[in-house]
Amino acid sequence: MPSRPYLGFGLGLRPDHYQAILDSDPPVDWFELLSENYLVPGGKPLHFLDRICERFPVVMHGVSLSVGSTDPLDRDYLADLRTLADRARPHWISDHLCWTGIDQRNLHDLLPLPYTDEAVLHVAGRIREVQARLERPFLIENVSSYVSYQHSLMSEWDFLSAVAEEADCGILLDINNIYVSSVNHEYDPGEYLAGVPVERVWQFHLAGHSDHGDYIIDTHDHPIVDPVWNLYADAVRRFGAVSTMIERDDAIPPLEELLAELDQARRIAAEADPTGDAGKSDMAAP
Amino acid sequence: MSTSLEELQRAFQEFLLGGDATAIRARVTGTERVPADTRLGIYAHAYSARLLEVLADNFPAVHTLLGDEAFAALARAYLDAHPSEFRSIRWFGNRLPAFVGTTGPWKEHPVVAELARFEWLLRDAFDATDAVVIGEAELAALAPEAWPGLRLEFHPSLRRLDLHWSVTAFWQAVENDEDPVAPERAEHPVGWLIWRRDLTQYFRSLEVSEAWALDRAREGANFSDICEGLCEWVDAANVAGYAAGALKRWLADGLLTGLETGD
Ligand SMILES: [Fe+2]
Repeated sequence: MPSRPYLGFGLGLRPDHYQAILDSDPPVDWFELLSENYLVPGGKPLHFLDRICERFPVVMHGVSLSVGSTDPLDRDYLADLRTLADRARPHWISDHLCWTGIDQRNLHDLLPLPYTDEAVLHVAGRIREVQARLERPFLIENVSSYVSYQHSLMSEWDFLSAVAEEADCGILLDINNIYVSSVNHEYDPGEYLAGVPVERVWQFHLAGHSDHGDYIIDTHDHPIVDPVWNLYADAVRRFGAVSTMIERDDAIPPLEELLAELDQARRIAAEADPTGDAGKSDMAAP
Repeated sequence: MSTSLEELQRAFQEFLLGGDATAIRARVTGTERVPADTRLGIYAHAYSARLLEVLADNFPAVHTLLGDEAFAALARAYLDAHPSEFRSIRWFGNRLPAFVGTTGPWKEHPVVAELARFEWLLRDAFDATDAVVIGEAELAALAPEAWPGLRLEFHPSLRRLDLHWSVTAFWQAVENDEDPVAPERAEHPVGWLIWRRDLTQYFRSLEVSEAWALDRAREGANFSDICEGLCEWVDAANVAGYAAGALKRWLADGLLTGLETGD
């Protein structure tokens, strides 16, 4: 992998905010676009995409790669992603360390993988093919999970790290997902952070969730909670200046509310990073 | 238990699609605080809730027409009959209009299928391929002798359907957050046209003769063929003017992307 670019502080691009973004030119350093939203023939999605890509650095984030599935990789999807990447010119492309279905079914959920050597080799081999076909840096993201498999042989962070090393890809570390899974599976999220190789982490996700008491569900419909902010500060201390963004997928508030949350991320990063680089926006966009 | 990745995924998928937890239950662990069945239940719930939500988003007027409970029953039946094979959830509802038209109890109420079809075609027009429309100038530049052989190219977002029920008025009321009036059945079906102009979807009804002319023109008939056919509704003396009027209206609506004169 090349050394990581730093884009600053971004937001997930959502249709609710298209017009406000173009009208107000908000202080957002970059946007993450959901690839599937733009894999359509035309109309509003591509119209706004083009205008936003003209003004802001972007990265692409997908949910359909199903890189952990035992079905063959969907090469048509990869070809479409590549076409979209030629249009949007993202700094990198990411998807999740999960599977979404087999036998050509799509369950439209990010289902966890068993943490085994078999799965490491399977996923890493497929990521290598993805990278070869996309010819852009590729990051793999940790998901929230609710079950553990009996035959898992390693921790989730060892699994994530092994996949990234074996595939030679980057990591999109979702801080909220670490927190959610640490509660659901009763482990120490600090141990997770400590187990991930620093130089592979190119991006952070921050998000809110739904707390059900005994377990937490990753819903992206609430503001970020304090324990996740604290974990983010720990992550900045360990990983340094990593491009950071907020994901909100439901109960989407006006743009200003997310800008305020993004400012909070900037403050926390600036305080946590002794070099002072992590809170900066102005070194963005290589 | 030794389990291959494929066996594990098949067991999990079987559970989500069919509800049989036996195979997956033997392969997952729980904790005292959150037992394995609760954990699997989170996934089962998320699976149906997510797909129900996307159907409700794509078919808001069908949802209003049926009410929450009946719509949820429809969504579950549809999900069982047509699990998604689409990479993007945007297409999941693709077979719902046909499903409600052919499956009981909904098929007893054809208004449901008509409304579903209308909503899905609107959705289609939303992100259909872009194309540049032609203006008055292109039409004005046409030599008089080019008219008889003239063929038209239409915007890729154009969709045509015939409706027995007043589902467009129902849809409009739902869209405007007004109390919708129950759709009524007309004696004869009415032709409708759906398209997108710039970034907005439009729809309007068609006279029988205009619907006929539009359908032929989309099939590639030329202007003189269309005039001939229109004689069924219009005096031969007026038919060329009538057809030219229809064409100008299509142009003004932003439906035309090209004129082909065959030379
Ligand atoms: Fe995420």
